[in-house]
Amino acid sequence: MRGLMDKVTNVRNMSVIAHVDHGKSTLTDSLVQKAGIISAAKAGEARFMDTRKDEQERGITIKSTAISLFSECTDEDVKDIKQKTVGNSFLINLIDSPGHVDFSSEVTAALRVTDGALVVVDCVEGVCVQTETVLRQALGERIKPVVIINKVDRALLELQVEKEDLYQSFARTVESVNVIIATYVDPVLGDVQVYPERGTVAFGSGLHGWAFTVRQFATRYSKKFGVDRSKMMERLWGDSYFNPKTKKWTNKDKDADGKPLERAFNMFVLDPIFRLFSAIMNFKKEEIPTLLEKLEINLKNDEKELEGKALLKAVMKKFLPAADALLEMIVLHLPSPVTAQNYRADTLYEGPADDEICKGIKNCDPTADLMLYVSKMVPTSDKGRFYAFGRVFSGTVKSGQKVRIQGPNYVPGSKNDLFIKAVQRVVLMMGSKTEPIDDCPAGNIVGLVGIDQFLLKSGTLTTSEAAHNLKVMKFSVSPVVQVAVDVKNASDLPKLVEGLKRLSKSDPCVLTHMSPAGEHIVAATGELHLEICLNDLEHDHAGIPLKISPPVVSYRETVDGESSMTALSKSPNKHNRLYLKAEPLTEETSLAIESGKVSPKDDFKARARILADEFGWDVTDARKIWCFGPEGNGPNVVVDQTKAVQYLAEIKDSVVSGFAWASGAGPILDEALRSIRINILDVTLHADSIHRGAGQILPTMRRATYAAILLAEPRIQEPVFLVEIQCPEQAVGGIYSVLNKKRGQVVSEEQRPGTPLFTVKAYLPVNESFGFTGELRQATGGQAFPQMIFDHWATINTDPLDPTSKAGEIVTAARKRQGLKEVVPGYEEYYDKL
Amino acid sequence: MLYLIGLGLSYADDITVRGLNAVKKCKRVYLEAYTSILMAADKESLEEFYGREVILADRELVESGSDIILENAQEDDVAFLVVGDPFGATTHTDLIIRARELNIPIETIHNASVMNAVGACGLQLYNFGQTVSLVFFTENWRPDSFYNKILENRKIGLHTLVLLDIKVKEQSIENMARGRLIYEPPRYMSIETAAEQLLEIEEKRQEQCYTENTPAVAISRLGSPAQTIKAATLKELTQYESGEPLHSLIILGRQVHDLELDYLQAFCENIDQYKQFVREDQEFFKPPPYVPPEEDEFSD
Repeated sequence: MRGLMDKVTNVRNMSVIAHVDHGKSTLTDSLVQKAGIISAAKAGEARFMDTRKDEQERGITIKSTAISLFSECTDEDVKDIKQKTVGNSFLINLIDSPGHVDFSSEVTAALRVTDGALVVVDCVEGVCVQTETVLRQALGERIKPVVIINKVDRALLELQVEKEDLYQSFARTVESVNVIIATYVDPVLGDVQVYPERGTVAFGSGLHGWAFTVRQFATRYSKKFGVDRSKMMERLWGDSYFNPKTKKWTNKDKDADGKPLERAFNMFVLDPIFRLFSAIMNFKKEEIPTLLEKLEINLKNDEKELEGKALLKAVMKKFLPAADALLEMIVLHLPSPVTAQNYRADTLYEGPADDEICKGIKNCDPTADLMLYVSKMVPTSDKGRFYAFGRVFSGTVKSGQKVRIQGPNYVPGSKNDLFIKAVQRVVLMMGSKTEPIDDCPAGNIVGLVGIDQFLLKSGTLTTSEAAHNLKVMKFSVSPVVQVAVDVKNASDLPKLVEGLKRLSKSDPCVLTHMSPAGEHIVAATGELHLEICLNDLEHDHAGIPLKISPPVVSYRETVDGESSMTALSKSPNKHNRLYLKAEPLTEETSLAIESGKVSPKDDFKARARILADEFGWDVTDARKIWCFGPEGNGPNVVVDQTKAVQYLAEIKDSVVSGFAWASGAGPILDEALRSIRINILDVTLHADSIHRGAGQILPTMRRATYAAILLAEPRIQEPVFLVEIQCPEQAVGGIYSVLNKKRGQVVSEEQRPGTPLFTVKAYLPVNESFGFTGELRQATGGQAFPQMIFDHWATINTDPLDPTSKAGEIVTAARKRQGLKEVVPGYEEYYDKL
Repeated sequence: MLYLIGLGLSYADDITVRGLNAVKKCKRVYLEAYTSILMAADKESLEEFYGREVILADRELVESGSDIILENAQEDDVAFLVVGDPFGATTHTDLIIRARELNIPIETIHNASVMNAVGACGLQLYNFGQTVSLVFFTENWRPDSFYNKILENRKIGLHTLVLLDIKVKEQSIENMARGRLIYEPPRYMSIETAAEQLLEIEEKRQEQCYTENTPAVAISRLGSPAQTIKAATLKELTQYESGEPLHSLIILGRQVHDLELDYLQAFCENIDQYKQFVREDQEFFKPPPYVPPEEDEFSD
């Protein structure tokens, strides 16, 4: 396997992504089984990639898991590969990712290190909310998708559909996938829509271990008809019909006499499958052997004894092994690292596109300087230690090699967020196991031992001092649900603190911090995520009994108008004065900042252009954005509107730090600010720099910002989930009544064509979402299962300073909980009179 | 009555007689302890000398807690002791403004400050330009506005007194943001650091305000028993061992009087070389040679 890693053209890095319960892990099993790692009998049930106990118990994937597989192709297949290839052995680095929205960050981390994605779509449920989310993420990372429509057995056995209906359902699903692709595709990637007739869509059943592509059937029939395979593939999909009498192909669905013709796909592809199903499931014993013979399926003796579903499974597995179809798609249609890094390099690398480092990434050069992105930390069997899991983008990583470990806040040339340490060991990740290797060249996925203490969650490893970072991942979910945790026995406190550190490391998206009141806060993306995190914390990372508060929601502080007067604050020594005003940013601007479209790392002129053209900013103002916050990239900005103030540049840093402080914890409920623009109107400074240091300016900026906000109709924003619920018609009523009770707003209600299923979409405040799943189950007799994903921040349009209003109640409760004074201090607290 | 009393430079008994008398009758005595330090005295020796309890006033108390200092000062006598002269540092003007607002009578008792005692090195006070402070550079805060002021002074041939940063009791930014009253250990800038920082900014600005060979005078522990003065170029001073605080630095201007140089001789290892550097340095910012106005011809 190590030998294959050098032939980068024959490596495929891919993730399996899908909506929850569409069968990723089960499908992955058939690939793992093909590689001989688990027995054929267990495939489809073992869920090899679900390595954790709770994953097995709950039947859902929580953490993404990686495995490296070996595959061989026939020479014939290799000819069809439209990129450079050497020989016919392939190494597939596969990452199985979770489907539940709460764990989207795991998907993001998986996508970063892969170049292709196998998108699994349930044939009955179709494209769901999470399918769209992960596809969008994949395309954003310039990752090429192929699709498998899974659970076809359900359509055949449960819904008993006809051939044409099944074809229509397939076509619809493919179409809706393509609509999403068309919406989010990056032009650089070219046409990445999926086409059954080109072999980028497979159909199958992970549970029964079978799958096929049109290409496979085309291979069978091209011999029989003596037609070129690629021509055959086109004939086997779409409006293509075969007239058995004339033995002619046509694109009309009627023959010359007006008699209906059967669609080629139905006739040549679906027909044998339908026949097998009906023969086996209806126990027509006599038909089975003939059919098997015709389809060249040889059963072993013990398998011949089987009946019904078991027989069906055995037969289908022999007839159309899932692994073959999947491997064919992966090897033929997903890009190798060499191909992919060529077009991914400039979106991956923060530095200039023409420096040596970027060239190394572009060429996937194993002899260039090392560039490795650690996308997540995987716990080892050694408690409290982690494998740093990531992808080598250029150079070669070796055991014992000294590397520069650059955290997300590293700035080239500085020592900030930088460590220089040796990699102890390099390992291959094989599900729950690892295999040590000496080194790993560009284009491959590895685990590294011995550098976990120097990385928080993710980061860049390099050997070049000039290297910029590989781009920090943007998550589609945010940690909006939080709890306070405390120890039951006071003496366990150090263990809790250590456990929180480990928890934060082990999950890309969980946040842990200490509130001003001294509580330990754990913030996660949803109720399930929180539950898993707390469980891990209690039983694994900290290993002590915990007290856990009821979940609370994190809010944002914003403003609705412009400050009614200029906010003035004086520095402690009174020799420096800041004059500010606050005003709201438009929601569009905030979203653009949050999505990274407008970012502090952009060239300021280009950024000003975008802000002016797309968001209606004044260009002069847009060029004078001093900083973003919180975290230096949040959706709040400081704009310098001063005119010719001496020494202004010298206090910029202190102002930026002061704003970072203020924007991380606002005046109303100590929550982060959102959608606020602070304009610095004027500044008075002491003539000597010793009297205008950080100690003077930093607290002044914070006070002035608070005063400006409190003078500008402050508001609070609450997070809102988009809920998607699929259920049978009779359960819809129950959904509505629960939604009504919980301040939910229905956005749409649609029936999925060809099924009795309804999809209801609604907005639900996160605050109301606790226990929502349970209540919904009760109200619908367990038939409705919601998927909730963070959608937007909604402003609560009442005055948070009035304790009798809805917003005021939230503020009072939150301040009480955090141990702050119950009444929000007035602007006078932060305002200095002239 | 609020007495603002200068303590002079170093010894406990540097205080003036009038100042001492005032302290002795005051109900509360505050010692401002962050803009400078007394080199040859501490809180205990002052208390013994004054026969009064002395309250150390740190930055928080002076800047944010002036109400405590001024409490009932309309009736009681309160002394606010400042190392050097009360008006040496601009910082305390705010305290006086507040006292005025509260109708508290104020009396100031002056004393020697580095601003005048710097004459000890022999450079004439008349020839000094704007005074500048040099702050400790941090990783991303390296203010260079002092450079412009030195440049302005040097353009018209004046010396520049450079005061060096002291951090007696400061919070780190992180602790400030967290609201923790944890203080960093005291730090005092040495002559070596100052010379390095000055040259770093020249390197960056490249405006030839001064050079490595620009003559300077380092004054250490002015007014204390261990007072030391050293005349050398900036480059030489980066290798100087200045020792215990406090330190100040003077960058010479073009207008150096012969008498000044004669006086500096005592502080210089190689006066001839120093004089050579002074002559070379005088070439910078040299005014154009004097051209007498053409005499008007008498018309009649």
